[in-house]
Amino acid sequence: MTLSDTEIIELNELCGAVVDGTLTDAQRVRLAACLRDSEAARRFYARALGQSASLHAYASELHAGAPDAPARVSRLTRGWFVALPAAAALVLVAWVALRVRPEAAPVAGEFVARLTGAKDARWTTPALRPGERLEKNQRIELAAGLAEITFDSGARVTLEGPASIAIASAWDSTLHRGTLKASVPPEAIGFRISNAAVEVVDLGTEFTMIADGRGAAEVLVLKGEVEAAPRAGPQEAILLRERESRRFAATGVSDVSDRERKFSLLHEPLLLERVTQATRLVHWSFDEADGPVLRAEAGGGPLDASDAQIHGGSPEAAARVEGRRGKALRLDGRRYARAIAPGISGSTPHTISFWIRVPEDAPLSEAYSIVTWATRSKKLGNRHAGINWNRDRTEGPLGALRTDFRGGHVIGTTSLRDGRWHHVAVCFAPGDDRSDTPVQVRQYVDGHLESSTVVTSRAPGPAVEEDPALADVIWIGRRLGPGGPRAERFRGDPDELFIADRGLEPTEIVALMNENRLPGTALAAQP
Amino acid sequence: MSTTPPDETESRKRLVALMTRHQRQIFAYIYTLVPDRHDAEDLLQETSVVVCEKFDDFTPNTDFVAWACQIAWWRIRYSRQKFARSKVVFDDEVLAAVAQTASEMAREIDERHEALALCLQKLAPRDRELVLTRYEPGGGVSEAARRSGRSMDAAYKALNRLRKLLHDCVTDRLAHGQGGVA
Repeated sequence: MTLSDTEIIELNELCGAVVDGTLTDAQRVRLAACLRDSEAARRFYARALGQSASLHAYASELHAGAPDAPARVSRLTRGWFVALPAAAALVLVAWVALRVRPEAAPVAGEFVARLTGAKDARWTTPALRPGERLEKNQRIELAAGLAEITFDSGARVTLEGPASIAIASAWDSTLHRGTLKASVPPEAIGFRISNAAVEVVDLGTEFTMIADGRGAAEVLVLKGEVEAAPRAGPQEAILLRERESRRFAATGVSDVSDRERKFSLLHEPLLLERVTQATRLVHWSFDEADGPVLRAEAGGGPLDASDAQIHGGSPEAAARVEGRRGKALRLDGRRYARAIAPGISGSTPHTISFWIRVPEDAPLSEAYSIVTWATRSKKLGNRHAGINWNRDRTEGPLGALRTDFRGGHVIGTTSLRDGRWHHVAVCFAPGDDRSDTPVQVRQYVDGHLESSTVVTSRAPGPAVEEDPALADVIWIGRRLGPGGPRAERFRGDPDELFIADRGLEPTEIVALMNENRLPGTALAAQP
Repeated sequence: MSTTPPDETESRKRLVALMTRHQRQIFAYIYTLVPDRHDAEDLLQETSVVVCEKFDDFTPNTDFVAWACQIAWWRIRYSRQKFARSKVVFDDEVLAAVAQTASEMAREIDERHEALALCLQKLAPRDRELVLTRYEPGGGVSEAARRSGRSMDAAYKALNRLRKLLHDCVTDRLAHGQGGVA
């Protein structure tokens, strides 16, 4: 049966009203009657709505490329990955990449967690040692004992063997069997643990999941609250608060047997052997009242870091403003500073952390570079890496934290270009010189892990002049290019710059943000 | 160190390839049943999660889109219980009938997507701008009206006319075997 012209005109109008959200009750009744009774009407409706889905996709692609478009980010690209298992995230990365920039591709083999403690641990899978990094999709089989995993999001879980867990991402894991205790700080709210029977989203808390390996799981909340969504049946998610518990199975949701005894066991402290990582740290506070010298403090061992020297712009007295703590450095688009940071150009991981305030009206030409350094490793070549804010909206949200290096970049989600103070930490791990080892970059803004996916680009960045004097130099507020330092500068106020010679843990980054110090590391002025 | 077995890696590669190729079709299917961009995106996310988890159940060389749409359908049914009443356009009976038709038409809708790009190019620049402003992230009819200097009523009418024009253009291209290839 085909539709008459009159019916087509009416259906077109009704479909338009559905899409535009203007459908009246009378139109709703009319459209429902058409769709109930006519296969031809249903086919027209499917084509019309499918066309609108396509128009959303095309308009998004063009919008992403518009130079003056306002900074709006589709929910598809905003924070989607935090709640997804790795494979799903990979799939969505692929789709978003197709929508936004066809040549972009995700890099597999990403580390998302670390084994941070253990006690009497025996492993079914190859043995793990405290301190070892854990990859996306890695499955961990603990035969006996205890093991503590700290995810890059900041969530921490302790497994009690026998247990089996699959690490999906920094925000997500699956407990196949065994007992797990999760502790989730505010920065990692939204961390998720799933199971065949239930999916638990942490709303900032401590909870335990006990999976029996046959499809059922018990969830007990020690502090705070969680949202537990049963996998079986149409039942909606349940909000479980402190001291509440449920058992989830294919047959439904029920009370936990012997819950008081289980709660009392969970309150017993777990004594784990933790790895202590030595850290060498250098800090520029920018707290000097005036003058061209920015004093460096170093800690954790011998480090030939240097005081930073202000260049460009004048007068120098105008180079300081009230900062997030004490004074901050005022970079006005002409002024920059230069210092020595030993080892930053090599292959070992580093963490660069600072407070930053970028004016709301900062021009795109002054997005480069908050901190830049030359790279001298075999993999990254004689090029440079830099921490900037993103000015290319085809690649990510305008103003978001962006780290560039040879052949790739990472872009976060929060715009720094809002005139407010933000805490930034970038863990940059070039990896060894094997080409198949991805460069690992974790970006934290205000303590939250924003991005850790490395997107490779077709063309590697331009080579930096092979000037040996550029090695281990950091530039604050100045860009590097093929001929060395470039004219482009940065506009904004950095404060409390730290460089550590390893990838810091999420709790350490939060400590730098909140306390302006790294626990266990004393600082002293450089001689 | 990775403990992922080789066959699992192959399986994951297959999954990524299938989802990359067909995700747009699955989104169109969801959007047809839940005509709100943000809700549809959320449901696509949820569907992707379940597809990944249940991929071992998928029989190779069968219709992946139909299988994934079935999963999407159950997510839609589940989420309808949570939607505000105002968001539920149709009752279950009508929705099920539309879902059946939309699933059967997934391939055609994909072909129409390709042809639509060329039909968009044939629109007058002012009309194309109106349509794209209406559909861009954060856009809408009021923004399209504002930017084009039209009244809201005129913008609604123009959009309905242009959607019909595009619909006919796409149908015509496919009828003449031109599809998405110029």
